[in-house]
Amino acid sequence: MAMRVAFRCLTANFSPVLIQRSRPVQISASRLLWKANPAQSLSTASRLSTALKFTDKHEWVRVEGGIGTVGISKFAQEALGDVVYCGLPEVGQKLEQMEEFGALESVKAASELYSPLTGEVTEINTELAVNPGLVNKSCYEVGWLIKMTIDNPAELDGLMDDCSYEKFIKSLDE
Amino acid sequence: MILRTFSNLCAQSQACFRSARAKSTLSDVIDETGKSGLILKSLSTDIFENLALEDWIHDHVDLQNRNMLFLWSNAPAVVIGRHQNPWQECNLQVMRQKGIPLARRRSGGGTVFHDLGNVNFTFFTSKKNYDRHRNLQVVTSALKGLRPDMDVRATERFDILLNGQHKISGTAAKLGRTAAYHHCTLLCSADRALLSAVLKPTCQGIKSNATQSVPSPVKNLLDEDPTLDCDTIMDSVASQYNTEFGFSSPVTLVDPSDELSLPGIQRMACELLAWEWTFGRTPKFSICTTFELKNDTSICNATLNMDIKNGIIETCDIEVPSDWLPVELSREFSLHLIGGKLCPYQTSVIAAAFLRTIPQNKEFERKMYNLCRRVVFMM
Repeated sequence: MAMRVAFRCLTANFSPVLIQRSRPVQISASRLLWKANPAQSLSTASRLSTALKFTDKHEWVRVEGGIGTVGISKFAQEALGDVVYCGLPEVGQKLEQMEEFGALESVKAASELYSPLTGEVTEINTELAVNPGLVNKSCYEVGWLIKMTIDNPAELDGLMDDCSYEKFIKSLDE
Repeated sequence: MILRTFSNLCAQSQACFRSARAKSTLSDVIDETGKSGLILKSLSTDIFENLALEDWIHDHVDLQNRNMLFLWSNAPAVVIGRHQNPWQECNLQVMRQKGIPLARRRSGGGTVFHDLGNVNFTFFTSKKNYDRHRNLQVVTSALKGLRPDMDVRATERFDILLNGQHKISGTAAKLGRTAAYHHCTLLCSADRALLSAVLKPTCQGIKSNATQSVPSPVKNLLDEDPTLDCDTIMDSVASQYNTEFGFSSPVTLVDPSDELSLPGIQRMACELLAWEWTFGRTPKFSICTTFELKNDTSICNATLNMDIKNGIIETCDIEVPSDWLPVELSREFSLHLIGGKLCPYQTSVIAAAFLRTIPQNKEFERKMYNLCRRVVFMM
């Protein structure tokens, strides 16, 4: 039976209630938040994703020290199946928000990757060259894809936090 | 199967709207038909034009509530998957000799040989409706409709096997923002001798993490039944597509070089043709190989080590025994190659220029020439 995956394109329209939960962009604020939650465990994907912002294309971005780390969500890696190759950009490449920056090849297809933000690539995860399966095994941690500068921090406000993203993927199943 | 040209389709939609319009783009015309299922057939046999048309449809046609089938065939070409290494997959020397171009598609998967005896089917859908099994069932049902006793089956890898043994079709796919396409080949009457010759890689010693093809024994449908030709099969698949999805679409002919109907398509074809895409998108790899050098009186073994990124030689070390050639010569030649493309034409030019700089010594010249030739041959 074929997998039916709904990757619908939604415009971001978030309820005001959710804004309370979204993390501020500033470095010091996010560090404060970590300190305020010393017991916060990083062991589960849902806990991890509290620091993440998500796109409707199922990429996530985590901001630390003005640099965004980008990866794909658990939902996305499950839908993709076993990743066999990660086609990533070059360091120094400039990306516009929503611009295609690479592709993940899995047994399912070559799936394009879309930049969550506007910025410049500062690092790519070279581990993925030898172990592309890390994207499946550890999509929020060691399976990250690229790191990039954040040229327009306001773009982060337009992304979903974990709650909104959970709701979004639930709506795709309907 | 009714065949209409794109201009007929235009005329039909114009009649529907009771007004004369300036020539619309293909996506405008498709929208105006209001149809949820369409079958297109390419008028071109140029691999780059056809791949560009696939991309154009994927990018410009609203596929959220629409399915499309695209039928196409190409003059001889080798097509590699998006993340593959052509030096590892095919015989570039033979291809150059025979004028067979290399194309890199945007979908994943392995390397295939196309010629006019091979038919391609591309199934366009929304991402939600992406279903390779269903698409392949269209093909196998169409074939069984023509020859009920034929044993054709899709496998878990989305190949189609004839008699459980021979591969007659391979599949690849691309998932984009909101739409997807799944395309597959079908061997009807392809030149199998040429297929074997070009799909035999000649470059040895490659270490790469590029996606690799899974070689399979192949057969033509024509070998099974001489009355099965490409046109019959295309018609049958088009019919079956309509049946499977409940459409009633005629086959509309499309000219993929028509920039007016397909704005931007020429640029897309150019991108696909460019060296930077076909060869330059090869994942980083290294070559480590030894080869023989001969002259009238003796033989020796030379080793070559190269690192290649984006098709450009980043490091190069050619070692030849010092009693064969002065070490400085092979070392200097290695340095000359760094920063250049892994391309026989460019390397020949570099080699020719280098050979002119060698101090007058017939023996060294001959040996160096042999070395250069051997290195160029490897590319």
